[in-house]
Amino acid sequence: MAELAAAAGGSAPTRRRIPPLVWFGIGWILLMLATALLADVAAPYRFTAYDLRNRLAMPGDPLHPLGTDELGRDVLSRLIVSIRISLMIAFGATVISAALGTLMGFLAAHFRGIVEQVVLMLADFQAAMPFLVLALAVLAFFGNSLPLFVCLMGLYGWERYARIARGLAIAAGAQSYAGAVRQIGAGPARVYLRHILPNIASTLIVSMTLTFPEVILLESGLSFLGLGVQPPMTSLGNMVGYGREYITRAPWIMLAPATVIVLTTLAVSLVGDWLRDRLDPTLR
Amino acid sequence: MLRFLLLRSGRALLTVALVVTFAFVVLRLSGDPALLIMSVDAPPEAIAAFRRAWGLDDPIWQQYLRYFGAIAQGELGQSMRDGRPAIELVAERIPATLALTLPALLIKLGLGIPAGIYAALHRDSAVDRLVMVAAVAGFTVPSFVLGLVLVLVFSVQLGWLPSGGQDGWLHAVLPTMTLGIGGAAVLARFTRSAMLEVLGQPYMRTASAKGLPWRRAVLSHALPNAAIPTVTIVGFMVGSLIAGAVVVESVFSWPGVGRLLVVAVSNRDLAVVQCILLLVAVTMVTANFVVDLMYGLLDPRLRSGAKGGH
Repeated sequence: MAELAAAAGGSAPTRRRIPPLVWFGIGWILLMLATALLADVAAPYRFTAYDLRNRLAMPGDPLHPLGTDELGRDVLSRLIVSIRISLMIAFGATVISAALGTLMGFLAAHFRGIVEQVVLMLADFQAAMPFLVLALAVLAFFGNSLPLFVCLMGLYGWERYARIARGLAIAAGAQSYAGAVRQIGAGPARVYLRHILPNIASTLIVSMTLTFPEVILLESGLSFLGLGVQPPMTSLGNMVGYGREYITRAPWIMLAPATVIVLTTLAVSLVGDWLRDRLDPTLR
Repeated sequence: MLRFLLLRSGRALLTVALVVTFAFVVLRLSGDPALLIMSVDAPPEAIAAFRRAWGLDDPIWQQYLRYFGAIAQGELGQSMRDGRPAIELVAERIPATLALTLPALLIKLGLGIPAGIYAALHRDSAVDRLVMVAAVAGFTVPSFVLGLVLVLVFSVQLGWLPSGGQDGWLHAVLPTMTLGIGGAAVLARFTRSAMLEVLGQPYMRTASAKGLPWRRAVLSHALPNAAIPTVTIVGFMVGSLIAGAVVVESVFSWPGVGRLLVVAVSNRDLAVVQCILLLVAVTMVTANFVVDLMYGLLDPRLRSGAKGGH
């Protein structure tokens, strides 16, 4: 994707200039963040408010710029709240997964031996099974609630951070700075968190930006199936799922959130790829 | 080679055992099976009898071993909905799923691999740009959005194709396209980067330098080497023949394994979910095993080396 960004950004891609597509990505991400933060102020209506006289209003309606759904609920307001929920879940899940994965990687790097083998085996297992099926199995056994759902999404992709953190921590542990800190009496927690973590943070952040869009897609997929975020709460995938019933008469209900999903994953991937090329030392 | 095979089969079996353990742990964490199956106001003696009958009072490791034994003998429990064996319910849905995923796999391979190779050989051409744009779209457009857009265009606007259900091959066109297009884009991008990697290798320069025609250098040096990483992702696609259509089957109300899984999850029909989980695990593990064997065939370096390698 970086090649694409570079190709569209001019014939001579230089390290200094930010390609236009990446600008678009940054702009869109900022817009989404602002929408999520200001959702209460930005939404013209309450997202559950009915307007039964204006059911299935077309987009462009003076009262409802993006139209209304089958109960006359304002699509724009629902979209704004959905953006907040979906981004919150994706953020929470990405942070959980990065923290868990890094911890597992550090444990593997510190203890080696059997601990390392177990971590690597779990990572292989996670990578080999389609995550959607595992997630569905957990939801079937435990039922659904928002905290459980966020934690479940937080298991997505932990194995990538674990592999990266393990590899980098083993390499860093062999370097003189880690040895020096250890010599002056720092405990393992201090060595790993205060000294090794900052040195490998850029690589971890890059993989977070690459995992984030996948989490959005996963969440919206599960919510679309009716197994993720539950009504009356709304999320982007949830809106597409319920909007599908009205695809013939009111396609805008489903097209608005679908467009946001596609543009957001696109924007984060473009920025993530660009960041990887700039930040990831393993690529130089 | 024998050592390589043994190591790999051991790992395959270990993964299946892990999935069984996962199912057992999740099942036990989710609540007391006695209370789950009997009603809450059942008399305590009945619950105690049930616990004795199913060995729920035994130590947990004995239960674990028994669970393993039952699954090894193919006893996967009965659907809570209609009391039929879960394995039967799942088995009768497999043909419908394969009717979508096999043609889709052909589309992915037939479209994705040639497009990726062509794009790599003609870097920065119009086709290359197109492949990259398609690959980005294939990654960022989720299958349910692609499926619904196809419905909007071909069913609602043009009225050419049915939007859902299973009634003749026409109904399979849109779901197969949805699965095939997205996968082809991913595969094209993957093949392209594998090819570009190989084309930049010194042995390609050597091949040119010794006067080998470009076409022959590509055919006999670049393609076999680029096949090695590509086999991995193709293996993953083959492994997801059963589970890869969960979302798409739901979009098009297609009565396959994926649809069954979603319905079973919302009904909390645990036996069916567990059965599909194991089926998916076995498929994935088998595909990975075959990929490992293919590695051995494609890459002589792995065969001679003692360690399996990645």
